Amino acid sequence: MALRCILLLSLLCITTEAAEEFWAFQAPTRPYLPESGEAMGSSHRTDAFLNAALAEQSLSPRAEATDQAYLRRLHVVLTGLAPSAEDQAAFLADEDPNKRQRLADRLLASYSYGERLTSFWLPIARYAEDQAHEVGNNKSLTYPNAHLYRQWVIDAFNRDLPYDDFVRYQLAADLHEADADRDALGFLGLGPKYYNRGRLEVKADEWEDRVDTVTRSFLGLTVACARCHNHKYDPISKEDYHAMAGVFASTEMLNETLPGVEPAKEKDGKPMKGAAPAHTRHIVKEGKVQDLPVFIRGDVNKKGDTVKRGFLTALSKGKPQEFAEGSGRKQLAEALVHPDNPLTARVMVNRLWQEIFGQALVSTPSNFGALGQRPTHPQLLDDLAIAFGQHRSIKRMIREMIETTAFQRESVAGSTLTKHDPANQWLGRMSRRKLSFEMWRDTVLNASESLDPRGGQSLEIEDETNFRRTVYARISRLDLNDVLEQFDYPDPNIHASHRGDTTTTTQKLYLLNHPFVLEQATLLGQHAAAANDGITLLYQRLLSRLPNEQERQRAQAFLDPGEERWAALAQVLICSNEMLYLD
Amino acid sequence: MNFGPPTPLSRRAMLKRMSAGFGMVGMSGLLSSGAMTQQLPARAKRVIFLFMNGGPSHVDTFDPKPALARHAGEQPTGKLFKKSSGSGFMPSPFTFKKAGQSGIDVSESLPHLSRVIDDCCIIRSMHTNVPNHEPALLMMQSGHLQPTRPSIGAWSVYGLGQENENLPGYVVLRPGKRIVVGPALWSSGFLPAQYQASTVATTDMQVDRLVKNIKNPRYSYQEQRAHLDLLTQMNREHLKVRDDDQQLEAQIQSMETAYRMQMEATDVFDVSKEPESIRKMYGDSPYANSCLLARRLVENGVRYVSVYYTKDNSTQPWDTHSNHNNGHTKLCADSDQPTAALIEDLKLRGLLEDTLVVWTGEFGRTPYAQGKDSKAGRDHHHTAFSTLLAGGGVRGGHIHGASDDFGMNATKDPVHVHDLHATMLHLLGIDHEELTYRYSGRDYRLTDVHGKVVHGIIG
Repeated sequence: MALRCILLLSLLCITTEAAEEFWAFQAPTRPYLPESGEAMGSSHRTDAFLNAALAEQSLSPRAEATDQAYLRRLHVVLTGLAPSAEDQAAFLADEDPNKRQRLADRLLASYSYGERLTSFWLPIARYAEDQAHEVGNNKSLTYPNAHLYRQWVIDAFNRDLPYDDFVRYQLAADLHEADADRDALGFLGLGPKYYNRGRLEVKADEWEDRVDTVTRSFLGLTVACARCHNHKYDPISKEDYHAMAGVFASTEMLNETLPGVEPAKEKDGKPMKGAAPAHTRHIVKEGKVQDLPVFIRGDVNKKGDTVKRGFLTALSKGKPQEFAEGSGRKQLAEALVHPDNPLTARVMVNRLWQEIFGQALVSTPSNFGALGQRPTHPQLLDDLAIAFGQHRSIKRMIREMIETTAFQRESVAGSTLTKHDPANQWLGRMSRRKLSFEMWRDTVLNASESLDPRGGQSLEIEDETNFRRTVYARISRLDLNDVLEQFDYPDPNIHASHRGDTTTTTQKLYLLNHPFVLEQATLLGQHAAAANDGITLLYQRLLSRLPNEQERQRAQAFLDPGEERWAALAQVLICSNEMLYLD
Repeated sequence: MNFGPPTPLSRRAMLKRMSAGFGMVGMSGLLSSGAMTQQLPARAKRVIFLFMNGGPSHVDTFDPKPALARHAGEQPTGKLFKKSSGSGFMPSPFTFKKAGQSGIDVSESLPHLSRVIDDCCIIRSMHTNVPNHEPALLMMQSGHLQPTRPSIGAWSVYGLGQENENLPGYVVLRPGKRIVVGPALWSSGFLPAQYQASTVATTDMQVDRLVKNIKNPRYSYQEQRAHLDLLTQMNREHLKVRDDDQQLEAQIQSMETAYRMQMEATDVFDVSKEPESIRKMYGDSPYANSCLLARRLVENGVRYVSVYYTKDNSTQPWDTHSNHNNGHTKLCADSDQPTAALIEDLKLRGLLEDTLVVWTGEFGRTPYAQGKDSKAGRDHHHTAFSTLLAGGGVRGGHIHGASDDFGMNATKDPVHVHDLHATMLHLLGIDHEELTYRYSGRDYRLTDVHGKVVHGIIG
């Protein structure tokens, strides 16, 4: 056993010298377009890579999805909402050969697009509005205005903020002139504040959170592993870790009073102590600049040599790049988005691919290191990363993905693909995927005409008056709402590389019995009862299609005992697999 | 998960995705290459963790210190976490009596536990890292001082899987709504969400209040069955033209299980189904109800039940900083009978031999006074305290370890919380060094890099 471990270790370990040979540390190189890919009849660059891989596996891709399936797919993927009955009628009747592109234009320009992508980004940023602990009723560590960061993210996606600025502002907006983007600093400023945070060992835990969140989110590297010892598998030393932790040790959490608001004061005129930080935004500022000693085995009482603030050795040219300006946050952000950085663009492109295709090219999106998975399509990943590094536009990258033939294929596998590529890693078909809880709930609210478009301050997800999109739900570290939790919303105490995909009876009990589902079913039932053709209304609004004759008859037979079954019929559709999954 | 390795959907990946019950099948046994590479013979199949929030005083319960009377009023010496500002050593107001055949000294404030002491093992040499509630609570429940790790219950169910797919694998019972720290104590952390505890507030024992969404307020089971029949028909047709996709099949099965569970859980969670004699045995208090419900749950295949001793008006009743003698008398009186009844009841049913019962606080209390007058209290104390274990393969009628003459420090065979965790997992047949979960590029353990199995307490 021990021997096997050592052998395994030596196989997996990447030393700094060997780093240049490990794929993720090499700069992406522009690959030649594979010729075999073009044989499958697509002129699209991305398809060339995908088709070449299929050909290499001797797999034939599936046919194009129907307009009806494609319409629901694109709506849900880009906006988190199913298409309305009107959208369906118009799209199916449209004979313009470019209608799919036009649809993409419209959806990418919709406000819902930003809300949808923000649902994807918040768990990466371990967004939350409080702490995992609360002493007594002391709310001074909570983040009542966390929603300002969330709104910034929505707006950033909607205005298609270039990705390098997206990274820059979240780490160091205060060190740029872009004052309108200060809310972006919530990425750091909404981080966990731990119990007893005055103590050095607790501070060190908080720095670890910042290093972990920043490096896994943007670099796909688990740098925090090197807090106690050199990284066991990747070329990251404990000196590297402490060089980066020094940046956050030189940064302070800040509740900044919002412009035009008087800070809360005690009777004697001094600033209020320990009160909930209302009227503030929760960001960071430059602190007392300090370089950290290496804490030996993570123990703050055992101090080794001091390390200058700086970047990872493996991603620097020669000696580790030092960050001497202030805390070094701005330089860290610049190092992350530098064109020579081999990871940042790849990591984001891979995350976007995950969102669009339902599965990633590198199936460990926050770990591109030795223990992470290798890309299924390394050349494609490089090709996309190089393009993204140049145009930096998330919308453009998403458009590149959805315009592929691959994205437009049907999701039925057939016996050959089921047998030879059950996990669909070669993308011969569209992967069938479960709707996220946000997509499911928002589509139901939209169908019942009760969706409230407002954002702003968060509401509890189970608040009876909450009809807003799910992205506006309050996210708590102390007590994450169990509906969110049961439907795989990740633990907001830590960066989440992806969501779980569980199927549990608890989820089903929610669908069967929860007041939200029952009330939505009632509302939908009322609309159906009032319509000329209630069955069609329910099918169109929930499943984005018309019922066939057999389904219509069956629904009619179900309704026959009495009108009160409209709500039950609506609930059946709300809970159906067709509603829960996207083809 | 979406992020399985890019290989055909293996049996393991399928098991990870599917879960028919509240949780899912565990890593041991059913998985050919699960987290555990080695399985020990299991002495316990399930755990009931009775947690005394606030920290009971060891010198007033299970660790008699006659020296405190002889040195009453003297100030403690040696390394103290906080300088004593009270009136010095404070003797216990209780006398200790030899109990059972084993003759273990137990405080007179615990007559019921004295009766069952021959089934119990007392660790008198427990210690933890800090004398503050939050981190000490987290240490006891998750092996880490900050709220970012999975709890021991989540680890246990992750390791062992569920016995009954119609019930949750891990249930937390709490008489009061609020608990210091809160859900991080029973979190699944980075483990998949199905290992999260189902929490149940036992202030109101009506079943539909106890278990969320267990009852439909609108439809009878019969009417609901008619809805499900239509749903199943739709789902079957949907599945037929989708390559018999197993994830869709899992959804269909899961819905059927949920429907059945409405009945089974309703039954199991209903303590009013217990005969009067049994209810009397436990007594009638929120904690007693929790203990009784805990027994019903483990009897029906719940793997891990935690009972938190809290009250509506107090999040940590055992935290007696003032008026200690009076407070502890009442707390012992309130908790003694249900705890002993649970042990006796499990034994009568033949369940005690493979059910591990743990009774502990997050730390102990200072042997010296906090405050000066007759209303003096005892402060937090982390360098020595006592934990009681029963059943599940532990040595009954046994004392393990010792603290010094004053109860200040664990001196003989000290047992850290990590060691307790390692031992609990060991009794469950799990090697604490092998039960790992890869997260953020690292293999995490409940015991981190610590923990030694305490073989001395195993019978």
